[in-house]
Amino acid sequence: MRSEESYKEEEEGKRNYHAKVLMMGTQVKDVIVKPDAPNSLLLDKHADYIAAYGSKKDDYEYTLSEYLRMSGIYWGLTVMDLMAQLPRMNRQEIIDFIKACQHECGGVSASIGHDPHLLYTLSAVQILCLYDSVDEIDVDKVVEYIKGLQQEDGSFAGDKWGEIDTRFSFCAVATLALLGKMDTINVDKAVEFVLSCMNFDGGFGCRPGSESHAGQIYCCTGFLSLTGQLHQVNADLLGWWLCERQLPSGGLNGRPEKLPDVCYSWWVLASLKIIGRIHWIDKAKLRMFILACQDEETGGFADRPGDMVDPFHTLFGVAGLSLLGDEQIKPVNPVLCMPEDVLQRVNLQPDLLS
Amino acid sequence: MAECEEEVEVLVQRVVKDITSAFKKNPSIDEIGVIPCPEARYNRSPIVLVENKLGVESWCVKFLLPYVHNKLLLYRQRKHWLDREALVDITCTVLLLNPDFTTAWNVRKELLQSGVLNPEKDLYLGQLALTKFPKSPETWIHRRWVLQHVLAQLAAVGSSRKHQQSGEGEQVDADRRQELSDHLARTLHQEMKVCSDAACRYPSNYNAWSHRIWVLQHMARGNAKVFHDELSSMRLWVSMHVSDHSGFHYRQFLLKELIHELSQSAGEEDLTGEGEGEERQLSFITVLQLFHQEMELISDLIRSFPGHETLWSHRRHVFFLWQQWRRDQKLSNGGELAQGDVWGGESVNGQSHSDAMEVERVCLPDPRDSKRLKRGVHLPAPPSLPSEYTFVSSVLDSCCPADQRRFAMSYKKWLDTVIVQEP
Repeated sequence: MRSEESYKEEEEGKRNYHAKVLMMGTQVKDVIVKPDAPNSLLLDKHADYIAAYGSKKDDYEYTLSEYLRMSGIYWGLTVMDLMAQLPRMNRQEIIDFIKACQHECGGVSASIGHDPHLLYTLSAVQILCLYDSVDEIDVDKVVEYIKGLQQEDGSFAGDKWGEIDTRFSFCAVATLALLGKMDTINVDKAVEFVLSCMNFDGGFGCRPGSESHAGQIYCCTGFLSLTGQLHQVNADLLGWWLCERQLPSGGLNGRPEKLPDVCYSWWVLASLKIIGRIHWIDKAKLRMFILACQDEETGGFADRPGDMVDPFHTLFGVAGLSLLGDEQIKPVNPVLCMPEDVLQRVNLQPDLLS
Repeated sequence: MAECEEEVEVLVQRVVKDITSAFKKNPSIDEIGVIPCPEARYNRSPIVLVENKLGVESWCVKFLLPYVHNKLLLYRQRKHWLDREALVDITCTVLLLNPDFTTAWNVRKELLQSGVLNPEKDLYLGQLALTKFPKSPETWIHRRWVLQHVLAQLAAVGSSRKHQQSGEGEQVDADRRQELSDHLARTLHQEMKVCSDAACRYPSNYNAWSHRIWVLQHMARGNAKVFHDELSSMRLWVSMHVSDHSGFHYRQFLLKELIHELSQSAGEEDLTGEGEGEERQLSFITVLQLFHQEMELISDLIRSFPGHETLWSHRRHVFFLWQQWRRDQKLSNGGELAQGDVWGGESVNGQSHSDAMEVERVCLPDPRDSKRLKRGVHLPAPPSLPSEYTFVSSVLDSCCPADQRRFAMSYKKWLDTVIVQEP
């Protein structure tokens, strides 16, 4: 972790040189934010982009991503709600779709005919919360499905086939928290497993012994928040690892020597917010980077400036800006990546460290 | 020019058949890809097989994928029957184009469970998919399920033999056990290769490396030789991929496991009371050598390739492991490191030995250490906090680029903050 002053000093020095020449002399993997990159928030364009997304359902690209459709819908609806544009989406069609995706075992699939999985069960419940329509599916069956996926060591499988990953621990408790049913699983054991995935650098991996990764860190800090165990995190150590993700361009990466990506602006930023260290990031530089990832013509955000946009990065770009305090966007909850007002409605206020 | 439904159906069926016969014709296909080819040429199959490479011309993919995708889903919803062979062929086609289609892998899991599909086929299919999609999470996830399935089968066969009658059954027993052991070793080796190939195809491939760790955790428990061999074989690779954070993390995992294994065998000796502490001495020396070699490697790389955060991160990990091991050693010896003969026959009491290792408060110059070591076993100077500070200074004093300075300063801060504060 460096002090804000020393970071800024170095950046001043860098700006004295032509950007291209500088990049040739450095090993640091990063992007250059061009001076003509978008620098204001184009909310209307993004709303139009999401509203029109997937209207051509025969699209080859659409088929390719059908295996995650439920999550795709969650991304689209959440960003629309954050922009106060949710009414533009087809509520009834989506609720009917979700109902058709709940299987006999209680789990929900990504799309009709696909197999159920925890990932899409969470997305479905999140969507139904946005629409205040959780009872449109069989909630008891959902709870039963999740309970059945907990293993002896406290971990959670993603589905009946048994893959273990801390992401699934997060999915399980997040879904149950939204439904108010966390007491149905063995929380202590679940906590024990997640803590066993904590590494010496304060971060978390997918399984015990796995490399620390910003996405997994988000899931684990979110998990610990929901289970009231944030005191088990070494906030200073983890906070340091997280703010070391910030690159000269202002963007954040997910691990050392990876390129910055707008979705890490969410995973890293939300984690920092959860552990009370969000002020360790250079907010102004990050905001500049996120805005530069917008596509002025099509609307939407890409992973980095100049690339193709998609709903996934659009949500995390907007959510990241919300966490940074942009007042044109509704406040977003860092644990569940949902509008705060929705969570207030269901009376869910997960802990955050200060 | 839109293709009408019937034409698409005929086309797709032909393509699926062509893919199946390509595999029959050449069971050694080792790579798949899409050939940029915007238009169909008259009556030619879009499936191209050259040497061991299987290609699909791009013009047909937009028809092919949605068709087989939807057909599979119709089957899954019991709206359309597909026989086993058709299922195998269709899932194969779908997964070569879109290996993150989880449900397609699940269909194959069911076929495997009912004994209709050979697990080797799925491992092969996954391997092919990874040549084009080296990160594909669902491919790696399916792979782990297949391996667990295989391991369970091997274990079942192994235990079913236990109840054999003695006599002529014994030789068959031993042969069978050897066969199983060989199968396991081959499977392990193959997994290492698949992970390695995927790691080369995509930098810092988290999924490939975490799979590699999973394989060792499940198929090489307690096998120190495997960890040793992996550590050796990875040395060159990481030296040529100095930005690959996952590759270096793999080394951290191997080191940690090896140290654990060595400490176990030393501990067992202590428990049984047999032997003259040789296991313990050997494990102590080996661990010391491992740390020394790793620190040498990383120092060398840091100097040769300035400005790589991964290398400095690795140094943190290794030094932290060292500190942890030292602490565990002191605890298990009641605060002392009574390894008199290890340190070369010099009669030093337990207190001095603690001093020899307790280097963070006392600055021991290197020559003194090596003199002590020369008398007996050839031991390298252990890592120490002072030597780490010395290393940082030497980097900062050299003419190093701004990024290297930044990482060196950061490492120093880490030493100040994390290591020094450790109880």
